[in-house]
Amino acid sequence: MTVAAGIGYALIALGPSLSLFVSVISKKPFLILTVLSSTLLWLISLIVLSGIWRGFLPFSSSSSSSSWWPYAILILTSVAFQEALRLFFWKLYQKLEDMLDAFADRVSKPRLFLSDKMLIALAGGLGHGVAHAVFFCISLLTPAFGPATYFIDRCSQVPFFLLSAIIALAFVTIHTFSMVIAFNGYAEGNKVDQYFVPTVHIVAGMVTLVNWAPGGCSVGIPVLYLIAILTLIHCGRMVWRRLTENRIRPGHS
Amino acid sequence: MESSILESIGVEIIGVMSPVSICMFLVVLLVYSLSSDDPFSSTDSTIRTAANLVYVENPSDSVSQKLEGALLNAVVFVILIAIVTFLLVLLYYYHCTNFLKYYMRFSAFFVFASMGGSIFLSLIQKFSIPVDSVTCLLLLFNFTIVGVLSVFAGGIPILMRQGYMVCLGIIVAAWFTKLPEWTTWVLLVALALYDLVAVLAPGGPLKLLVELASSRDEELPALVYEARPTVAPRNGGGGSALGLLITGVMEAEAESSSSSIELQAVSRDNVNENEGRGGGGNIDYSVVTMEDFRNEEIQSVRESEEERSPLVRNFREGQLSSADNGQRFDRREGEIAAEAMRRGGVEIADRGIKLGLGDFVFYSVLVGRAAMYDLMTVYACYLAIISGLGCTLILLSVCRKALPALPISIMLGVLFYFLTRLLMEPFIVGTATNLMMF
Repeated sequence: MTVAAGIGYALIALGPSLSLFVSVISKKPFLILTVLSSTLLWLISLIVLSGIWRGFLPFSSSSSSSSWWPYAILILTSVAFQEALRLFFWKLYQKLEDMLDAFADRVSKPRLFLSDKMLIALAGGLGHGVAHAVFFCISLLTPAFGPATYFIDRCSQVPFFLLSAIIALAFVTIHTFSMVIAFNGYAEGNKVDQYFVPTVHIVAGMVTLVNWAPGGCSVGIPVLYLIAILTLIHCGRMVWRRLTENRIRPGHS
Repeated sequence: MESSILESIGVEIIGVMSPVSICMFLVVLLVYSLSSDDPFSSTDSTIRTAANLVYVENPSDSVSQKLEGALLNAVVFVILIAIVTFLLVLLYYYHCTNFLKYYMRFSAFFVFASMGGSIFLSLIQKFSIPVDSVTCLLLLFNFTIVGVLSVFAGGIPILMRQGYMVCLGIIVAAWFTKLPEWTTWVLLVALALYDLVAVLAPGGPLKLLVELASSRDEELPALVYEARPTVAPRNGGGGSALGLLITGVMEAEAESSSSSIELQAVSRDNVNENEGRGGGGNIDYSVVTMEDFRNEEIQSVRESEEERSPLVRNFREGQLSSADNGQRFDRREGEIAAEAMRRGGVEIADRGIKLGLGDFVFYSVLVGRAAMYDLMTVYACYLAIISGLGCTLILLSVCRKALPALPISIMLGVLFYFLTRLLMEPFIVGTATNLMMF
């Protein structure tokens, strides 16, 4: 029974990305490699961040609820770092795109289609998202397979594992699709999209601070999902717009 | 709409990575399911192998004692492996190929039957599967025979052969995870270093072996995983997409004109060439050495053996590179203590990349050892190993000669393990248990 519960938590967090992986990514080996390298990049960023913050952790969790601000700083720095990482990833991707195009010319195949570029961005985002879910949710799930569950004080209605799985799902969505938005924004030079992504990321991170307040998770999680859905809609509209534009003017991009 | 190039790049890499991933995943599952209930099971303390010949680790020992003992163990183990490899080269030099061949078959049989058997037995006990001894024996016997046949004989579907290769890797790796912690880490690092020396240094045993084999123009028996492209062979020019991609880029940087023909010519010149491309006019050598070692009660008898890998192939024009793999067993007081499969080289050929079984084993040992700490370290180590493997493969397509597959991956894996354990875990646990995420 508890094994089933554990698997269930894992699937809540990773189920959508798993189906995305199986249906879209796994058919194209290159995308699998993209997912893996982007996951590795995220892991490295996490290690660097934790190396920086290692000296200050754990924050003395005194009973005074005013000690949430170190976490605010932590999230702020982390998000800033990861957004810088996204820029780095974009630079890498540009190099890669040139390589791929050169290669395509060499084997006389068509160059990257617009949809291919979007797929690469999706794979990169999926790597970030999966890394988030794996390290923040799945790696803490080991006790969930055991004969008990765990509740935390501030959100005592729902088991901790379920909570973290739900939050992780929202973040997987945000990470996955904001990468598509960001890459597209960089490619088009669209300032709105370029600023949209860090904003969403930082707001989502800040919203999790609401969970610090007792019972805050009943507010924080819906807001988080609102943000995730907003990202999803924005991404969907943007992709739709690009694809239809592209169809009208074929060969332009 | 034509198929985009995304589908053709990286097929070889995935072809190697997926079996490695499967192997690691199954080892982790095995470690979890077998060790979760009784972490202090008695087998852990009683196992005594060539890998901890000198020093038996005791959890109560001091750190310096453990480190010293583990270092000694690793040194002894590596020296043993080096001796056996040289013995193997010697045997091969004097044309004892048949002896080596049959002995290697016997040892594969032995691995499947006894070590695999004991793992199955503990699985049966753990999950209380109702099966009587006769059935179990029959099943095990069938499993073993089919395993030996499919690993060493031709005419077996490639998928089955690959499956049994992975199986062999899992069984050996599962045994290795029973080594004590410090010894495992030091041993892994030592093996990675040894691998580096043995393959690349002039006079390194594995290098000697490969050169010997290629000078005789015969194939060494192999315990190598062959990742054959499961998709239909790409049309002529496609060779190795990765190699083409990378060489293409290098050329572009050097601003030289397209030189795929030139590259091919170069690759023929070089005897030890690893990568064949452009339609298979090259010859592939796969070298694998399997070394076997056993200590019977009083004295140790060492035998080494190697075996031809049955490379079933329709058109056998291949050139190959070399992958070597050594395997050794150690027996002590009538029971198998441990065995190691050593080493592998990786290679890209027309048919895909080859990876020594030893690499499978030691990657999985690392991940299995990480699994005993936490899931987080497992993911970190997995990613590190896979990326190390990817780096090795990319290097391979740049250097085009046999490369040791262990060093980069093992070093990255060990590094990430300790970074994760020391730095990341408090960070993640501290933030995630407060439901703070980003």
